[in-house]
Amino acid sequence: MLPGVIGVLQATEVIKLILGQGEPLIGRLLTFDALESTFRKLKIGRDPECPACGEHAALDASKVQDMDYQISCALPIAGD
Amino acid sequence: MARKYDQLFETVRQNVEEVDVQALKSAVDQTGKTPVVVDVRERDEWEQGHVPGARFIPRGFLEMRIEEQVPDKEQPVYLYCAGGVRSIFAAQALQQLGYENAISVSGGFGAWKDAGYKFDIPRQWSPDQRQRYSRHFLIPEVGEVGQAKLLDAKVLMIGAGGLGSPAALYLAAAGVGKLGIVDSDEVDLSNLQRQIVHTTARVGEPKTESARAFVNDLNPDVEVVGIQERLNASNVLDLVAEYDIVVNGADNFATRYLLNDACVILNKPIVDGSIFRFEGQVTVYAPGEGPCYRCMFPEPPPADLAPT
Repeated sequence: MLPGVIGVLQATEVIKLILGQGEPLIGRLLTFDALESTFRKLKIGRDPECPACGEHAALDASKVQDMDYQISCALPIAGD
Repeated sequence: MARKYDQLFETVRQNVEEVDVQALKSAVDQTGKTPVVVDVRERDEWEQGHVPGARFIPRGFLEMRIEEQVPDKEQPVYLYCAGGVRSIFAAQALQQLGYENAISVSGGFGAWKDAGYKFDIPRQWSPDQRQRYSRHFLIPEVGEVGQAKLLDAKVLMIGAGGLGSPAALYLAAAGVGKLGIVDSDEVDLSNLQRQIVHTTARVGEPKTESARAFVNDLNPDVEVVGIQERLNASNVLDLVAEYDIVVNGADNFATRYLLNDACVILNKPIVDGSIFRFEGQVTVYAPGEGPCYRCMFPEPPPADLAPT
């Protein structure tokens, strides 16, 4: 049953994004504990040093195409 | 003595604020707070074109529906009809309901068009679609405008498994127009305990085909594009580029990093979900608006610590 709960929450977020309604779970992580029947929301923030979207990120299409994600997902940042 | 129509109209008009279409245009263009614009004409008139962003409440239903759509009675409400006569009476009706800023647009939609302003022609619905989406049409947050957005939307689903199944069914039921489904697996009997888009009869079929069959049965408005491949570094960018939103239902690190990087490059939101035993998590990674997956986990943990 748990995948149903989470999958439907995902669908709900998609609908909100398409309609431009409400507050999507951007910067927030919603967790559901099925055994305890509790939802919690955790704030998550941007990392200015993020190798993908940070200030010094040097991510581009060629880096994605050249990486073997099955073996390593480490992303070099600018200067590396 | 009963008044004649002309007298009534003049009396009502004296008590109603009127603005011209130029004023309506600048109110609509104002950044920040968009005003409420209500089209009080009949459906056939609305279907020929309307002011962008306007809500459709025919004059005959105005008093019944306005409070649900515009609960704030101090909010300015611009009312227009075809020529600016019906909207005068509509504004008076709103005044009587306590709306403090009910404004009639003189010249109405005719003047709007004559001024050369952009107008929207609403989507034409088939009788079946009217019925299918009738409950959506009644919800102010969706309505006909929202339903048109749903039907125009393209969503890429990674995986037709435990998370992808319920997500695909609800998105299809809601009328999301295009669902790309990426899954290289075939349906196995052991999947059916949770992967509800598949059926016993379809064990052995590709999951993309099985999902397509279910979705087509549910809602023929939805185009399903089955992509029977593993998501990898050479196909991810081309795939993601064709869609508006990505739903991740694949619970492994490689896919999560791959999708994250592609979506950061292409500026597409990911609706991520994951499950570990009896706990589940959902979040949205929207590039530029919030963190991405790498903001939290720049690199994967060592393999021996990683749950899969």
